[in-house]
Amino acid sequence: MLLEVRDLHVEFHTRDGVAKAVDGVGYGVDAGETLAVLGESGSGKSVTAQAVMGILDTPPGRITGGEVLFQGRDLLKLKEEERRRVRGAEMAMIFQDALSSLNPVLSVGDQLAEMFTVHRGMSRRDARAKAVELMDRVRIPAARERVGQYPHQFSGGMRQRIMIAMALALEPALIIADEPTTALDVTVQAQVMELLSELQREYDMGLILITHDLGVVADVADRIAVMYAGRIVESAPVHDIYKAPAHPYTRGLLDSVPRLDLKGRELYAIKGLPPNLTHVPPGCAFHPRCPLARDVCRTDEPPLYEVSPTRGSACHFWRECLNG
Amino acid sequence: MAEPVLEVSDLVKHYPLTRGVVFRKQVGAVRAVDGVDFALGRGETLGIVGESGCGKSTVAKMLVNLERPTAGSIRYKGEDITRLSGRALKAVRRNIQMVFQDPYTSLNPRMTVGDIVGEPYDIHPEAAPKGDRRRRVQDLLDVVGLDPEYVNRYPHQFSGGQRQRIGIARGLALRPEVIVADEPVSALDVSVQAQVVNLMDRLQSEFGLAYVFIAHDLSIVRHISDRVGVMYLGRIVETGTDTEIYEHPTHPYTQALLSAVPVPDPEAREHRERIILSGDVPSPTDIPSGCRFRTRCWKARERCALEVPALAVPEWFRPAGGPVAHDSACHFAEAVSIRRSAPGVSVPVEGHGNGPG
Repeated sequence: MLLEVRDLHVEFHTRDGVAKAVDGVGYGVDAGETLAVLGESGSGKSVTAQAVMGILDTPPGRITGGEVLFQGRDLLKLKEEERRRVRGAEMAMIFQDALSSLNPVLSVGDQLAEMFTVHRGMSRRDARAKAVELMDRVRIPAARERVGQYPHQFSGGMRQRIMIAMALALEPALIIADEPTTALDVTVQAQVMELLSELQREYDMGLILITHDLGVVADVADRIAVMYAGRIVESAPVHDIYKAPAHPYTRGLLDSVPRLDLKGRELYAIKGLPPNLTHVPPGCAFHPRCPLARDVCRTDEPPLYEVSPTRGSACHFWRECLNG
Repeated sequence: MAEPVLEVSDLVKHYPLTRGVVFRKQVGAVRAVDGVDFALGRGETLGIVGESGCGKSTVAKMLVNLERPTAGSIRYKGEDITRLSGRALKAVRRNIQMVFQDPYTSLNPRMTVGDIVGEPYDIHPEAAPKGDRRRRVQDLLDVVGLDPEYVNRYPHQFSGGQRQRIGIARGLALRPEVIVADEPVSALDVSVQAQVVNLMDRLQSEFGLAYVFIAHDLSIVRHISDRVGVMYLGRIVETGTDTEIYEHPTHPYTQALLSAVPVPDPEAREHRERIILSGDVPSPTDIPSGCRFRTRCWKARERCALEVPALAVPEWFRPAGGPVAHDSACHFAEAVSIRRSAPGVSVPVEGHGNGPG
């Protein structure tokens, strides 16, 4: 396994108390594999990724437990100096908002070249040539002419390509993409996702795709981990989950998206709201919104039950859910 | 279609680009909306889809008179509202209300929910007698599924979905006939989106509302709309009933847009035929000649650069009729099969059409 997260806990100290943003999360990715981490805002999907990358703001955040095994090493035990060498070179991240993630006063060429001068000690001239090559790779037209331009001179889709180029620069083994296409239009989104999966195949990289879009997940993922209130509630191969979800939250999500090919039915709506992380309900965090909830759900937190060797569900009544 | 409440014809909004400080001269224009026509029937939902920058939000703003059109007309029950002012305009505005995209910035953080929802009554005092307002506001909150006891709370005490309900309650306050909703659910989480979409569905039948529903999410637009218009660079390129547009699109842009929408069904992965458009949308300051989509179109020929295609039923579809015979602004409009799901669920091809030449 390329990356394995084990029992990760992250807390935030807020005025309202301690928010358990990540509460015992575990997942893994192999080389060449795509894991989609699915969840709504506040589910802890991005915080988990930040902890893995080592870019969590501490304080207010604090990692209170767990392991992040990357190629066998526990990253949480490394010194900041060593972490820096891993970050960028061995694992890289693509953010949602390319405009605010790029430096507005440096040309894109300089920002790309920086990867090579800092991590590889290349000369500026060689690094510049590499930058042009990368821009070509992510299919930015007229790369040689545009290498000196600034981020604001590029369209949203082109900026996201530059982010991808930057992530790929040092040929990392793992890429974490946090909502990489959310800010883009559908036609551009399709271009960018296609590019990303093509490059992933070519370099045999592991990809963690963080998203709330069930459509994108169905298109590219091999496995899915569904998060709710800081925990993984279901983890399964992509085909299994769409065929028959084994957790009521997953089922609710799938039923609540309107589909182009199924018109006319009233949308299923999960009642209520996601919980406040400083006051997560006892027992199963989803029980106040769950149609299957019973007494045991209010008192006992469900473990991740084994549904099949490749599949887990954190629901006491997963059998019932699986059978519809 | 039912008797139209709103008729828009040849609507244009150009924003001038000027240069110079003392002697300002116009050097060009952003052609945000460049000739849009549609009609909205009573109690009907018209969906408008398009990518960012296509002018859909500018259309929305003109409908509620937040922007004055450069040219064209907007008729509300036969009366051109773009020519009205003062009292007459105010009276018409009462009947056309708006729900905004971002529930975080469209509610004043220093006003209570009661004040926000009741504010329309300050502007149109004839709509509700003063003593009756509090009760009306509480009724409205109840209608949109919020606890009427919340009237004294402030927006920050609510979640995104609840805030959007507040925005909808405000839109309903004056009992309008038309609600213009600009991306009303795109800022919300998936599980909350469904709640708001269902609410809008319910309110429509309860109050006989007509919606102009603007969004970039094609699935949601299909779900809620009776008719759909697809916009590209300031113009509607194709329009028809939801089945005509989604099952039988004939404009290449609509076809590309539909094929790009990810479908939540991994089985469909291998069977989908995707049209990946090259390049980006051209700038609205520099719109291509002829057909504005031709720079990204795989079917473009010489004629497309010379002649602007009209939004009408293509001649070659007219004799046979059927769902492919709807308005499409393409010289080479063609029926294709849209296959989104696994075989067996796919939509059969009906009617073949080929452009002349």
